Amino acid sequence: MTVFFILLTIVVYAGARFVAMRFPSPFTTPVFTSTAAVIVILLLMNVSYEEYTPAKDIMTFLLGPATVALALPLYHNRVVLMERLVPTAAGLIVGTISTIVSSVWLSAALGLSETIQATSSVKAVTTPVAIEAAVIIGGDPALAAAFVMTAGIFGAVCGPLLLTMAGIQDPFSRGLGIGTVSHGIGTSQAVLEGPVQGAVSSAAMGFASIITALVLPWLYPLL
Amino acid sequence: MKRAVLFIGQIAFLIVLYQLSVLITATLNIPIPASVFGMLALLLLLSTGVVPDRFIALGATFLNKHLAFFFIPIAVGLMAYGDLIRSDGLSLFLMIAGSSIIGLLVTSGLSAILSAKGREKQ
Repeated sequence: MTVFFILLTIVVYAGARFVAMRFPSPFTTPVFTSTAAVIVILLLMNVSYEEYTPAKDIMTFLLGPATVALALPLYHNRVVLMERLVPTAAGLIVGTISTIVSSVWLSAALGLSETIQATSSVKAVTTPVAIEAAVIIGGDPALAAAFVMTAGIFGAVCGPLLLTMAGIQDPFSRGLGIGTVSHGIGTSQAVLEGPVQGAVSSAAMGFASIITALVLPWLYPLL
Repeated sequence: MKRAVLFIGQIAFLIVLYQLSVLITATLNIPIPASVFGMLALLLLLSTGVVPDRFIALGATFLNKHLAFFFIPIAVGLMAYGDLIRSDGLSLFLMIAGSSIIGLLVTSGLSAILSAKGREKQ
């Protein structure tokens, strides 16, 4: 069954890439359509996530190395990054803090539980950091992973569209925002938009996770 | 054939680099995810010329292009939250979407404004 689940995921992904190329639209973003399609197929087959997990573990073996490989676009665009150090640092710090504050306040305003409020604050950063940071401030680690996935897919699907609507054309600033709010999943989309977007998004993803890990434990009690 | 060997060798190199990062961050208690640590380490290796970029280009470009694939099996994990999605799904979506939009526009907007100012000065 594990081999079947792996083949299924690859075939769905290849199909989703084809659809995205034929019909380019935010709603054909492969990570979104593939995830939805695999979930629907598993539900129709009456398969639980536990049964799919061995296949997941094999397929995600290269996620760490693939993230390390983001150093290549970073290296190719190092000059641009160094030149724009001040806008980068300011955007990253203010952006990360506003993401944290707005998620906690929005959760409270929507009447969501205190555990969810705490967990929501980590949703923008890469999963390993999100899980650890959530535990420190009283959130739920499994839920944190779910929020991180949702935020990532939302950023990959809607991020580029929202930036265009807001009139932000500068590839550097686009990459910075996408990496800051939607970590690796947003970055996987930014890489496809252009090399500068991909490089800046990779850097933003890394530094947003570092800033969150450092700031959250003392910022959260103040909210 | 030579290309295939090169490709596999480069992926293997990235795997080793990542596993080393896991080991280093765990032993030294570094509060940074291993993948981010590895990314910064590789950036340092490339910048200092210890690792020339052609040494990893083939494998790294392939992994970058298909980065989204590796997130799909993890995102499928959302299927385990059916009950929560049915009870609080709309509120949760509004919170995640709203906060992501705020963070996105603040980050990109601020960077765009400051970059434009920086260019005016020059």
